[in-house]
Amino acid sequence: MKPSPLQKKGSILPPDKESWIIKNPFEEFKTFTASTPGLPLDQIVQSTEAIMDRIRWGYEKLLEEEAKELVWMVQYNTIIKAYEVAEKYVKEIDYTAEDIEEFCFALENTQKIPYLIPGPAGVYISALCNYAGEEEIILKLSELKTEINLIGFRLPKGKRLLIEGDTGDFTGIGIEGGELVVEGNAKNWTGAGMRGGKILIKKNIGLHTGEWMMGGEIYVGGRVRGLGNIVEGKVYERDKLVYPGKVRYPNLYY
Amino acid sequence: MDDFRWCDEIKFRRREKGIVGVGKNGYQKQAMEIYQFISEHLYFNRPDMEIKGERFNSAILLSLLTGLEKGKELIIGEPGLGKTTSAEYVCSLIYQFPLGVIWGSEVSGHPEQTEEKIIGRPDLGKLNRGEEDVVWTNFSQIPVKIVDEINRLPETKQSMILDGVDRGNWEYLNEMIINDEYCLFATANYQDGGTNTIIAPLVDRFDVMVESRYPGANLSFLIGKDKRKDHVLRHPKYEKELYTILKSKIAYEKKISKIEEVCNSFGEYLYEVLGVRSFQRQDRDQIRGEMGSLELDLDASAFTRMLLAELSFCERYGQKRVVENCEEGCHYTGYLCHQIKNCASNRLPSSIKQYAQGLAWILEDSAIDIEHIQAVVPFTLGHRIQWKDEILSQKERSKRDDPFPIFLAKEAAKAVSQRYREQSEYLKDALAVGSKIFQGGALEPLEGDHPLYVEIKKDLDARKS
Repeated sequence: MKPSPLQKKGSILPPDKESWIIKNPFEEFKTFTASTPGLPLDQIVQSTEAIMDRIRWGYEKLLEEEAKELVWMVQYNTIIKAYEVAEKYVKEIDYTAEDIEEFCFALENTQKIPYLIPGPAGVYISALCNYAGEEEIILKLSELKTEINLIGFRLPKGKRLLIEGDTGDFTGIGIEGGELVVEGNAKNWTGAGMRGGKILIKKNIGLHTGEWMMGGEIYVGGRVRGLGNIVEGKVYERDKLVYPGKVRYPNLYY
Repeated sequence: MDDFRWCDEIKFRRREKGIVGVGKNGYQKQAMEIYQFISEHLYFNRPDMEIKGERFNSAILLSLLTGLEKGKELIIGEPGLGKTTSAEYVCSLIYQFPLGVIWGSEVSGHPEQTEEKIIGRPDLGKLNRGEEDVVWTNFSQIPVKIVDEINRLPETKQSMILDGVDRGNWEYLNEMIINDEYCLFATANYQDGGTNTIIAPLVDRFDVMVESRYPGANLSFLIGKDKRKDHVLRHPKYEKELYTILKSKIAYEKKISKIEEVCNSFGEYLYEVLGVRSFQRQDRDQIRGEMGSLELDLDASAFTRMLLAELSFCERYGQKRVVENCEEGCHYTGYLCHQIKNCASNRLPSSIKQYAQGLAWILEDSAIDIEHIQAVVPFTLGHRIQWKDEILSQKERSKRDDPFPIFLAKEAAKAVSQRYREQSEYLKDALAVGSKIFQGGALEPLEGDHPLYVEIKKDLDARKS
């Protein structure tokens, strides 16, 4: 009979005493197979990734449909069309404000999103903000290298969107009663076509501010580089009303 | 006469509730009958523990399990709150001894207690004739061993009792009797001028510690009205017969079989008069067999291992030791090992398993699950853990219902349960991988943030070497 591996030559164990052989202390678990893999943290990460995949997928679809040649002209009808497409995908996703912020960073940092085209990205982010469950959304974008255009598009009444960082062109256009706060600077055409609500830019603002705005208020903490052709509404520069007023003329550099 | 009327009333009330007579179906029902009888008629109490939707009084339930399981129980509490009497009632009904015999075999704790009064003494008549023979005490002979106020005994005498109970051997003058079946109940008052400490190695020998609690003003008031209710468990004729057998000079084994005969007769009397079925020796043996066959399910096993790991682990010094202190900034600061001084003994898992088996058996469950373990852990742990001073001072003023050691043990069990809930699947997986590696599988042990993962690795390393 071949000796068992545990019974070495000269072992003090009698050859037929099986029970004397070292017992497997984990014996009872030998048939166990884990039913749900991973720790709760892993599950949270997984579910967050699943949401991000869906948000990303919606953005890719928008690019496919609206920016086929990777060129996107900012015209009023293209913005509206892009927004309608974005709305279609965004409505089907269950996400939070944190997911929007994560998507903004994913636009720049990951290989998974092929192109950051500031226009459609802004329209898509605006749609995400407008359909988010939260009434107040804070996006910390100060670390973002690219300034995103069109943020705050059609922000509805009852919503407050706070941006930490700078924004690009067409910030807060077509706002429909919501409140948009930008902690940094905003570029040209801010508040164009807005119908109501409030835009607060803590630092400076570019040209064509409030172009064709129909109502609402724009507050600027720094300098207003140039006003647009405003139909109705108010623009304040450092607490001073600059529109309606005598001293300021549309698109004048000063 | 009054006693008999009282007995009839109890029997009537129990028949009304449909309790009497159902014992034929199983020992569990019989045990629950005893529990209910004591709870409703002899030891007024409030339930203080809940398991699987059933509420119990811990003092009665654990005493019942101690009697059935041949365990060792320490009952603490304020004077006059039924520490000794609860044990007496349980023992009388489980072992079929009339109360008079139990009283006559109790050891009461006081500093002048001697080995001769506890274990046995020389037969003075024979000694005069130049012969050596031992007259054994009732305490050493009968299976029911109750020590009243054990902390009033000097430590050497405590040790003598617990040594005897640990092994079941009682020795005097080169003679010995062996108890096949026995259980120990010891009561202890809270510290006062007349108490000694029960030293840690002795405390560790108790399987469980439970408090006999004040039942509340209203129930306490009723106790005052129902005088001498314990007379229902007395029987002068059988008591006399048992005393005669215990005093006789026949061999101990023969004595035991004679004692059993009388006890069985007393058991029949109890059934006739009170409608309560007590257990005969063969019943108790079968119950122990049934309890012993119950195994821990995987969650119960993994949870117990997790608890034991926290109570014994030290990354720096290899294991907990009462003489060593935790290192500053230790990674395992959040676990129980950082809050306690001593290491869990090997008696702890035995006690946990033994009482969890009893609980699962009495609840008619087919295996021991995590709820059974969680229910018994505070009572098996409370007296064994030595907490660090900072933990004691942090928590001593916490709002609580339990005595401080049991409260701390309940909190500890809760904390470990929470940790187990968070990582139960991964932990079981780690143990499963450990099993595969142990059997020669080429796998790597799973990493995790708990002492148990390190313990698994240690066992696997020991296997390799």
